Amino acid sequence: MTSKPLIELRNVYRSFEVDGQHLPVLQDINLEIQPNEILCLVGESGCGKTTTGRIIAGLLPQSSGEVLVNGQPLSAYSRQQQAELRRSLQIVHQDPFASLNPAHTIGQILSYPLKRHRMVKGRAELRRRIWELLTLVDLTPPGDIVTKYPHQLSGGQRQRVSIARALTVNPKLIVADEAVSMVDVSIRIGLLKMLHRLREQLGLAIIFITHDLALAKYFAWEGRIAVMYLGRIVEIGPTPEVIAHPAHPYTRALLAAVPEADPEVTRHKQHLALRSEEIPRLSEIPQGCSFHPRCPFFLPGICDAKTPELLQPPNFIQLARCTPLNDQGTLIPYEPAQYR
Amino acid sequence: MGLDAVASPTGLVIGFVLGLIPLLVGWRYRQWKWGVIGWLVCLFSSFGCGLIGGLPVAVLATSLVISYAFATREDPYTSQASLDEVTFDETWQEYLLRQMAALGHGVRTSARMLARNKVGFIGFAGVMFFVLMSAFGPLFIEYEGEANFSRRQPGASSLFQPPSAEFPLGLDWQGRSVLSHIVYGGRTLILTSIQAGLIATVIAVALGSLAALLGGFVDQAISFLGNFVLTIPQFPLLLVLASLISFNSSLGLALLFAALNWPALMRAVRAQALSLRKRDYVEAAVALDLGLGHVIMREVFPNMVSYIAVNFIFSVRSAMYALVGLVVLGIVPLSEPDWGVMIFMGRQQGALFNPAAASMLLSPIIAIAVFQLSLVLFARSLEEIFNPRLRSGV
Repeated sequence: MTSKPLIELRNVYRSFEVDGQHLPVLQDINLEIQPNEILCLVGESGCGKTTTGRIIAGLLPQSSGEVLVNGQPLSAYSRQQQAELRRSLQIVHQDPFASLNPAHTIGQILSYPLKRHRMVKGRAELRRRIWELLTLVDLTPPGDIVTKYPHQLSGGQRQRVSIARALTVNPKLIVADEAVSMVDVSIRIGLLKMLHRLREQLGLAIIFITHDLALAKYFAWEGRIAVMYLGRIVEIGPTPEVIAHPAHPYTRALLAAVPEADPEVTRHKQHLALRSEEIPRLSEIPQGCSFHPRCPFFLPGICDAKTPELLQPPNFIQLARCTPLNDQGTLIPYEPAQYR
Repeated sequence: MGLDAVASPTGLVIGFVLGLIPLLVGWRYRQWKWGVIGWLVCLFSSFGCGLIGGLPVAVLATSLVISYAFATREDPYTSQASLDEVTFDETWQEYLLRQMAALGHGVRTSARMLARNKVGFIGFAGVMFFVLMSAFGPLFIEYEGEANFSRRQPGASSLFQPPSAEFPLGLDWQGRSVLSHIVYGGRTLILTSIQAGLIATVIAVALGSLAALLGGFVDQAISFLGNFVLTIPQFPLLLVLASLISFNSSLGLALLFAALNWPALMRAVRAQALSLRKRDYVEAAVALDLGLGHVIMREVFPNMVSYIAVNFIFSVRSAMYALVGLVVLGIVPLSEPDWGVMIFMGRQQGALFNPAAASMLLSPIIAIAVFQLSLVLFARSLEEIFNPRLRSGV
């Protein structure tokens, strides 16, 4: 973690205006992404994972805060450099049926960026490059695919085309926004393995956005996991640490809820009951720690008063956003009777 | 349109020379059938429309010949080989041939789709019948503009006559052949309607996509203007305007129709573009920095073509109704030959009360109705032809 970060978010805040009300979708996001690293963003739907991904990919401006690319904000670069840097950050969408234009063949879809940015010289090289890209994403034989239209391919094949399209411009980072969640389970492993291989072959950094903790654990074992809740990162650290020793109560609850295939394990697994199943609305984010109305380790007077910082709690390697944990290093289950 | 070039010897010479292209290519690739057919079609269309008609036909015919010749030839690019086994180099001649073959293949696919949808094919045949009749009918049938009193039947009170072997659609109030008026009278009407439809479509597509892509104030202004025009009762306004302004060219009339016709299509295009611009593939194109031109022309437009084509047909249709309506009411200057004028004059000359005049009055009405019906039926197939999902299934 000593090299210069590829992209860095500093105090990024983003709000959307809905019915004249500003809803804070992202608050206080601080992230560093190193070249060639894997970062998993996990969280419930509506927690701001996708918005973070879109801000990183440069598709959405932040409301305030800074996004640094190679150590400087985009505005510090010349117009041409800006375009190049933006191009080095690509996104792979969730829905493989919506992310490819139905009007073009696969060959055409891949040829547009190659031609536009003069990545190839001449027709022969263009055709060769398209074949290379299709081979790279395991769509073989490529000759079968190039003249096909997207609707003639399966979901997994389309997702591979979508990845190949992102690779046309030689990106340094790919944001995979729920890239395998719409694909049949039997196809997922193949796709994930391919993404791993591409990362090693091409030196890509991958931001993998998912709501599936098991998937995050499998995919980002060598990387980091960032757990998001209501627009904030509540815990971030190396994947094995976060999975084995979750710090934040929310992460603990998430992990406790992951079903195991082994009934023996499930039977003896400790269940962590939340105090409320309801996710607060973005228009009514609770005071203090936004998780406190649901938190099984709620500490009255502290959790509902003070907004926690993302710090390293004692005895933990990862960072967490929990005041009692950061102050004392332990959590005490909340017992209402005690305080009544 | 070069329809005035009908029957000019120059056209024949142009067609002969242009037709040699598919013929020679057909000879080169042993595709005699399509070479000869291409030659004949080139001859015919150049004869009718000069260079404007001949050149596209020559290109299409040649591409058809090539696509048949290359149907079995394997392109390494689409072969089953793996990456190391293939060379992608090709000369520009090979490239040209490949492109022509692709074009020919597209033409064949379109033709097959047209033939597959029976209803649409009937519509297409109907439209082609009227277009060809207007373009080439004059070669075979002479126009009768002068009154012909010598055709009066002994004892008849008027010159009207029901259909007979000599005059298949009968005679009108001046003893002229109704058939000749039907053949000659559709040309201005069809051309003006197509012009009106074209202008309305261009305005609607331009304003609609601008409103959708720019949004904000531009969107509000354009939408307001569109809604405003929509609330105006169109036909009465058309009546008033047409009687105030004297139109001596069909283009003026077409512009007037287009000015009243665009808002409905504009709203449709705007809605379509609004939905298309939020698609993931548009966002991907933005992330790939492909440029606004690419986004409009390659990502958004191809997905609206079928929609626009169908709406174009419908605006041609409504322009035609309005035009006939104006003529029948006698608002726009009457100039023969014209289907609308036939209805107007027939009514004036008492055709309504004369059984012998039934065919004179009904012929233009049926011609208009059948043409309109054909347009609507044809619109159905157009949608299929432009939809890639349906195309590649054939």
